[in-house]
Amino acid sequence: MKKTDTLLVGERTFCVLLLAFSLGIAVLAYQIAGFSSINSAGAFPLGASAVMVLAALSILFDLRGRTRADSNGWLDAARQFTRAHFPPRTLIFTALAIIYLATIHFSFYASTFGFLVLSMLYLRRGRLVSALAIAALLILMIYLMFTLAFSVYLP
Amino acid sequence: MSETFSYLLMAWSDPNLMLLTALGTFAGIYIGAIPGLSVTMAVSILVSFTFAWDVNDALALIVGIFIGGVYGGSRSAILLNIPGAPSSVATAFDGYPLAQQGEAGRAIGLSTVMSVIGGLIGTLVLASAAPVIGDLALRFAPRDYFLVAAIGLLLVGSLSEGSLAKGIFAAALGAVIGLVGMDPVTAQGRFTMGQTELMGGIHYVVLMIGLFGVAEALYQLHNLDSPVVRQKVDKILPSVAMVLKFLPLSIRTSLIGVIVGVLPGVGGDIAALMAYDHAKRTVKNPTQPFGKGAYEGLVAPETANSAAVGGAYVPMLTLGMPGDAVTAVIIGALVVHGLNPGPMLMVENPHIFWFTVGNLALANIFLLVFGLMGIKLFAKIVELPKAILIPLILVLCVVGTYSVNSSMTEVFWMLGFGVLGYVLKIFGFQMGPIILGAILGPLMDTSYRQAMSSVGDNPVELFGELLSSPLSLILTSAMLLILLSNTPLLGWLKGRLRPASSN
Repeated sequence: MKKTDTLLVGERTFCVLLLAFSLGIAVLAYQIAGFSSINSAGAFPLGASAVMVLAALSILFDLRGRTRADSNGWLDAARQFTRAHFPPRTLIFTALAIIYLATIHFSFYASTFGFLVLSMLYLRRGRLVSALAIAALLILMIYLMFTLAFSVYLP
Repeated sequence: MSETFSYLLMAWSDPNLMLLTALGTFAGIYIGAIPGLSVTMAVSILVSFTFAWDVNDALALIVGIFIGGVYGGSRSAILLNIPGAPSSVATAFDGYPLAQQGEAGRAIGLSTVMSVIGGLIGTLVLASAAPVIGDLALRFAPRDYFLVAAIGLLLVGSLSEGSLAKGIFAAALGAVIGLVGMDPVTAQGRFTMGQTELMGGIHYVVLMIGLFGVAEALYQLHNLDSPVVRQKVDKILPSVAMVLKFLPLSIRTSLIGVIVGVLPGVGGDIAALMAYDHAKRTVKNPTQPFGKGAYEGLVAPETANSAAVGGAYVPMLTLGMPGDAVTAVIIGALVVHGLNPGPMLMVENPHIFWFTVGNLALANIFLLVFGLMGIKLFAKIVELPKAILIPLILVLCVVGTYSVNSSMTEVFWMLGFGVLGYVLKIFGFQMGPIILGAILGPLMDTSYRQAMSSVGDNPVELFGELLSSPLSLILTSAMLLILLSNTPLLGWLKGRLRPASSN
């Protein structure tokens, strides 16, 4: 992603969250062994978390002087961010993926078939017969490849 | 000597290994040619499938995919102006203008031959340099390992696209993820938040599949509707005179590729861009102006990114440090197979080293054959609909992650890392430093503690050793130089020195 003079929508908020996250990591690192020894189990994690905090501060510092994204308040910025980066297509596909993972323990092949058909139907806006045929073909390929060629445990 | 020779020819003489190398190379070209399917993604997923295999079989397939994938990226760069892999970004600069002028076939043919030349030079350097570096590495103290790993992380942070701060943040985040779990020395939990499931740590293949597979798949959802561009592909074989004309440049850019590839953490993408820049600066009379279809602009990045493959194996096999993201995954594969990449690998398991060298050479030969034979066929594959590809990638990610430890919790982790990677990508963070951090972080932790123990936990004494040991001093200076070059301090120093020297 190219650096531009204009901030991306939500970039400042994201960087603040990164800093907060880094501070949280630093607290967790401190909880390992505190400052008990320079050679303790927590010494390197503390160092790594300090680097994260410093880098997050530097990223925030770099945002200075850049033009704010054109938005009217937090709600509008959140709406713009969602529209640009989490459009319905991404959200629905992610939701389908979560449902797929949640149902996988019933039957790997049935849930995979369902996921493939539904996501292809959604992403290609229809074409049921071809989605069914392609999903069936892919399932056959997965079966042949993973049970015969690779011999891996399937969920 | 005869043993070395037999290891070297192992892949050439065993039909099974030969077939797997050929299959890997063929599949790699396909995978590399499809925009959105990266070679790192393919190798990450594949490694988890080959855990149950014999190590030679697994390595043969992975080497083929690696070589084929790096080259395959140039296909879509030339035909569609969409680099199939980050290492093919520079290829598109002149490759696509050539395709627009009806020279797509010749451009692909030349890029194939040049990739093979680069790949073979990279392999040759690996064969000759790695044993020397391996011997040197046996003299490395733990502090030197710490320094080399730190240099790797700094390099990947500073040379990758985006800001240094973002690169360093990503590397440190990776290190923290790599440290999750039980401390191997004190058995204390680190970053586990009291969860016993996390005591075993987060397998970095899980992280890798999430970041390179799912994150990329989510990102590609934005390009679902991009129109398919078809190019006329003919006049494939480049003439001998043409190859000879570009041979001196290809040798120079191959060497750039190998050197960049050898640096821990930096791979073909940086090598290709540096080689392109070199060609631009040194070629006085290109066939056409650079950026408008100069063959030199195609030759330079293609030789460099292929040569970087051999280079990337050098730190991996001699120091146990990944030369780039793909070799990071290969380290995982070697560890799973009970091998320990590092200086002792060359001593304990020399057959793995020589087998890899022979296999890389073989994969390059297959590349030449498949590359020149299947150009028209491969031109078709870049048109594969993403609406079919993306759900399939997700299924492969799920199967790949599950096969690591047969754990559905890890599959959910993988999906979580995918979404995290997607968000980080939106704000310009690179995925490579996170992976390298996850691998090098625990290694740095161990080296740091060993170094500290060796001086009785006395930081002043450790500092003294950093200055008194020539090797440590060189590494410390290199690290400081990289740090300095990324801060305004170096510019300020230059500014101060220039007027002083001109006076």
